[in-house]
Amino acid sequence: MHQRPSILARTWTTPVILIAILLAVALAAVAVSTGPFNQTVIEIFIRVVLVVGLYVFIGNSGVISFGHIGFTCLGAYMTAWLTMLPAIKKSKLKGLPDIILNAKLQYGWGLLAAAVFAAVCAYVIGKVLMRLSGIAASIASFAVLAVIIQVYSNWDSVTGAQSSVVGIPIIRTIWPYFACAVIVVVVAYFYSISRSGLALRAARDEATAAAASGVDIPRERLIAFVISGAMMGLGGALFAHSVGVVTPDTFYLGLTFITLSMLVVGGMNSLSGAVLGVVVLSTIIQVLRWFEKGIDVGGTVLTIPNGVQEIAIGIVMIVILMFRPTGMTRNRELVWPGKKLSAEAGAMPSSADGKTAKT
Amino acid sequence: MTAILQILFDALSLGSLYALGALGIALIFGVMRLVNFAHGDYIAFCVFALLWPSIDAAAIVFAGNLPTFLLIPLILGIGAGLSVLSEILIFRRFRNANPATMMIASFALGFIIKYFLLMLYSSRPKSIDLWSNLSQQIEIFGARIPPLQVITICTTIVILIALTAFLKRTRFGLEMRAAAENFTMARMLGVRANRVIMLAFAISGMLAAAVGLILVTQTGTVDINMGANLMLVAFVATVIGGLGSLPGAVVAGFLIGGLSSLMQAYLPADARPFRDAFVYGAVIVMLIWRPNGLFSSKAVKQRV
Amino acid sequence: MTLLSVENISVRYGQLTALRKASIKVSEGETLFVTGPNGAGKSTLLKAIAGVVTPREGFIQFAGQHIAGKAPEDIARMGFSMVPEGRDVFGGLTIEENLRLGTGMRADKDQAARKLEQVYAVFPMLKDRKDNQAGVLSGGQQQMLVIGRALMAGPKLIAIDEPSLGLAPKVIDDVYATLIKLRDSRGLTLLIVEQSATRASLTGGRMVLMRSGEVALEGDARELVKGEALRQAYFGYGDH
Repeated sequence: MHQRPSILARTWTTPVILIAILLAVALAAVAVSTGPFNQTVIEIFIRVVLVVGLYVFIGNSGVISFGHIGFTCLGAYMTAWLTMLPAIKKSKLKGLPDIILNAKLQYGWGLLAAAVFAAVCAYVIGKVLMRLSGIAASIASFAVLAVIIQVYSNWDSVTGAQSSVVGIPIIRTIWPYFACAVIVVVVAYFYSISRSGLALRAARDEATAAAASGVDIPRERLIAFVISGAMMGLGGALFAHSVGVVTPDTFYLGLTFITLSMLVVGGMNSLSGAVLGVVVLSTIIQVLRWFEKGIDVGGTVLTIPNGVQEIAIGIVMIVILMFRPTGMTRNRELVWPGKKLSAEAGAMPSSADGKTAKT
Repeated sequence: MTAILQILFDALSLGSLYALGALGIALIFGVMRLVNFAHGDYIAFCVFALLWPSIDAAAIVFAGNLPTFLLIPLILGIGAGLSVLSEILIFRRFRNANPATMMIASFALGFIIKYFLLMLYSSRPKSIDLWSNLSQQIEIFGARIPPLQVITICTTIVILIALTAFLKRTRFGLEMRAAAENFTMARMLGVRANRVIMLAFAISGMLAAAVGLILVTQTGTVDINMGANLMLVAFVATVIGGLGSLPGAVVAGFLIGGLSSLMQAYLPADARPFRDAFVYGAVIVMLIWRPNGLFSSKAVKQRV
Repeated sequence: MTLLSVENISVRYGQLTALRKASIKVSEGETLFVTGPNGAGKSTLLKAIAGVVTPREGFIQFAGQHIAGKAPEDIARMGFSMVPEGRDVFGGLTIEENLRLGTGMRADKDQAARKLEQVYAVFPMLKDRKDNQAGVLSGGQQQMLVIGRALMAGPKLIAIDEPSLGLAPKVIDDVYATLIKLRDSRGLTLLIVEQSATRASLTGGRMVLMRSGEVALEGDARELVKGEALRQAYFGYGDH
């Protein structure tokens, strides 16, 4: 009997293509080589980490989580605690345990600790949330975000509450960020072709059939939740090291909105969609930013008022959801040699469209 | 005794606000399976309508200077109008989409509204004087209670009674209840889908406006983030009450209001800023015990 | 004269074709049974007529008007009452409220009250329980309720999807006895999806057999049940 090639053999080109895209972006930064552009590219890589993290959970489980940025906050502060100068910590964050107060680790350890810490928290929180139905879980995840932000906004001695925590070592070269983005893409890919990933997607598309086939839905969701939590934590840590400052407010609705839009625009259920969404929306955001600062067009300066950026993104999101709910990639993955895999032969199968039958 | 009375009024008035917010969400969820994340921003919009048409940095309350009997219907109308407009322009095209898509779309709409307000008014909260005499405390049985609290509670009770009467006694109410239970079947009996949904949105919008008016009177400020915190509680209340159940949402709203007030009164001072965290913690515990909420409606039960 | 005419309609659910160029005709006053194995497209046919799904091609004419693609509520108001599979009563509403819904906004209060009395006359057991919640009724009672609800609108045609589903044989007898009584006394036009061809032949009327989304056979119910053609078409003998 003809053996179908393994999933890996059929889809390995996807992560390769995505890494190539990231590499192209990195090389562009090297080529242009200005401070601001560098920073923009770093931002893009950080967003890739975050949005791929969102994809790992939302894309595979079909449950919209509004709370993932909470893990970003956890990760950012964790790396801050571990990598800041002890002197600053002792004066501003006295409530931290001594072992952390005295630590000054290399940022690499900070990143790792952030990811692990976020993963552990995700495990605990996920144990509760994964038993809830889709919509209830979404709302509950929102509540989780609010709790995390409230705790971090008020726990003066440990997080500095509302005031910014400064003094985090800043990493200005793009390569660590690039590396993390690549790692995250690879992990997400291997997760999605794993048994757990496939089982979760089966549950996403047809919960009754999946459960009847023996899929333990809460368990599979939890696995995805933890992996994505770790990625969000990593992204948070990267963010902390990119600007050197953290406040709880950064990690609330604004960031949730932006990352979610990138995923939706790219294609919620597709890893390629996550990456493409980041690249495309980041470009749009950058263009809008230039306009907000004012562009000199033959003598007159064109500006747009503040707030137009978010309005534009919101409109783009709604338009995409209306007319192409499956996003730019139509929930499929990018493969080489370029022809789209049909749903039968496809390894990372396209999900149902955003629409259900009229009944 | 007076302390208890004070806490009681606190709990009831806070619970009323939460209940009204939750009701606005539950109404639309009932007929459309849509969790309208833009609801909090409807509240903010209505509140800023009090300043219109001035967009100066200092709040010159134009519409807010209208006599009360004109002001209230106006703001209610604005709330209903915005809500119905969003249904016509946006949510109508999502009728057959899955709930997740609709949720995200409403999230995006909320952002658009918020940043539209930001564009016009900037993000700094402005102070505004609306019926501020209602916030001055008066003595009732020895407890110092602002009349606003009493009015809030009474208004909520009136609204609840009116809504119940509307749903149980009128033709439209019957159609809405049927549509909430089984939308397709209702249509097959001749119930006009669009009308029922628009009605739900209109009522929901008016509820948002009412909440906005109370918030402005209570806090004396106008802020684009107004309503955001309240809405989070409202969402959580609808989940606890059981998605799709109107009485559940109301009861849950009062429960959370009560819990929050109790915590505010009895938590040690250090822990008070974390009051919301405790409340949500209690919510999560409750959800472990009853994942489908207190009064889960048959329509929304998970089949798996 | 033809009350309902379905011509060559096709319906797809995503990749799955449920109806391919299916056609039926129903004359005023007649009873048409639609039978066939599971997955033949019988329910889809009714849903397409009712407006719940939209056909990709073909025409549907009801009472002289084109209805393909119209909204269910508009089609209902033209005199088409649909009783879908599974007895969709509104469990949270009372029996009387369920019935009142049947009139839509069309009838004024007096007319509605009169219709209600008429339906209660046909189904006295509904009147006894009129303030009970519909959700606590037995299967047979719910079936009576949904038929009564369909009657409230004074429809020209009632379409019923699987009236006998999940009911005990004696209860099915009662349901069909009521349908026959209604048909004979009011000249109702009936379109019934019924798995049991025997039941169809007992009740009398015309029958079409559907398979794989198409109409495979047509004829008088009694004749077809007696002959071999039905069995063969049902099970696909003599095909390919």
